[in-house]
Amino acid sequence: MIDFDCSPAGVPIRDDLREAHRFLRLHLSSPGTWWSAHERLAIAAESRNAIGCGLCGERKAALSPNAVTGSHDTLGVLPADVVEVVHRVRTDSGRLSKVWFDRVIAGGLEETRYVELVSIVALLAGVDYFARALGIAPPLLPEPLGGEPSRHRPTSAKAQAAWVPMIAAEDVQDLEADIYGGAPFVPNIMRALSLVPDEARMLQRASSAHYVAVAQIGDPTVRRSLDRMQMELVAARVSALNECFY
Amino acid sequence: MEVDLSVVNGDAGSDAGVEHGARLVAFVEAVMQGDDAAIERERRELLAVLPAESFVDAAATIGAFNIVDRVADATGIALDEMLEAMSSDFRGKLKLERFASAANTRQAK
Repeated sequence: MIDFDCSPAGVPIRDDLREAHRFLRLHLSSPGTWWSAHERLAIAAESRNAIGCGLCGERKAALSPNAVTGSHDTLGVLPADVVEVVHRVRTDSGRLSKVWFDRVIAGGLEETRYVELVSIVALLAGVDYFARALGIAPPLLPEPLGGEPSRHRPTSAKAQAAWVPMIAAEDVQDLEADIYGGAPFVPNIMRALSLVPDEARMLQRASSAHYVAVAQIGDPTVRRSLDRMQMELVAARVSALNECFY
Repeated sequence: MEVDLSVVNGDAGSDAGVEHGARLVAFVEAVMQGDDAAIERERRELLAVLPAESFVDAAATIGAFNIVDRVADATGIALDEMLEAMSSDFRGKLKLERFASAANTRQAK
């Protein structure tokens, strides 16, 4: 999703994928809703740094991540509570718990900032795994653009079937009127980031380019060059390895 | 078509009823484990049996679910009732309840 040179892979990259990459590059380098562009890129850089973190490695190998204490190997730009979230989401998201989330929020990280952070870390993980699969280097992070975060919190976001507030499909209004694209069925994954609508939009764009449009997930006839059974097998094996129940 | 779901848990070395299923799963596992030599080997094997466009689709799907899985697990979203109804049979067969994230996904309801 980042405008990076895929030519070393020696395979043709779809135009919609290239366009999604270009858009994400701009998205990541722009001021967000709650984090500045500098902070967003610091989160992105820290998420890559997490891959080599000794504490994360020990936790990943442990029966429970809570059994291992210590300090993260960090780039030193972000506060410790933010580093903890970035590293856990990048390296061991399948074993996050509500207790852990509540502790993070009680520690002072606002839900809005948390949601935007999760989006940045997840999107970059997707880019990096895509690059790894193609056999090319992950793209360099872009330079930050100027400007201030919009700090727009949708009034329609409410506590629902998730740890974070979300916008119900029937509650979309005003600035968020487009957020679900009129899809007949709005799965929770489509709503997960809706507390920060621009991140929800980016997730949909990324999903559509890399997999199928969210609105088409339930239609087994929708496919790409890879047939749908093959796509679902790949998806299911990835999710099993990530220990993701959803 | 009958699909051998055990391949999703890495329990089968067959195609599991999906064309080139074994090659696809081996490629996914290599990419997820990050072993460069294994990735290169499995990439060659996959490109020997699939068109390049299909290989890119496989790589993109790996990317997509590394996004979606993290978002789902870090936001604690509940499993949608419709998706649960559609997938309850294979979720049981795959023993997905063993994942820690299953507790979150259920609790959020």
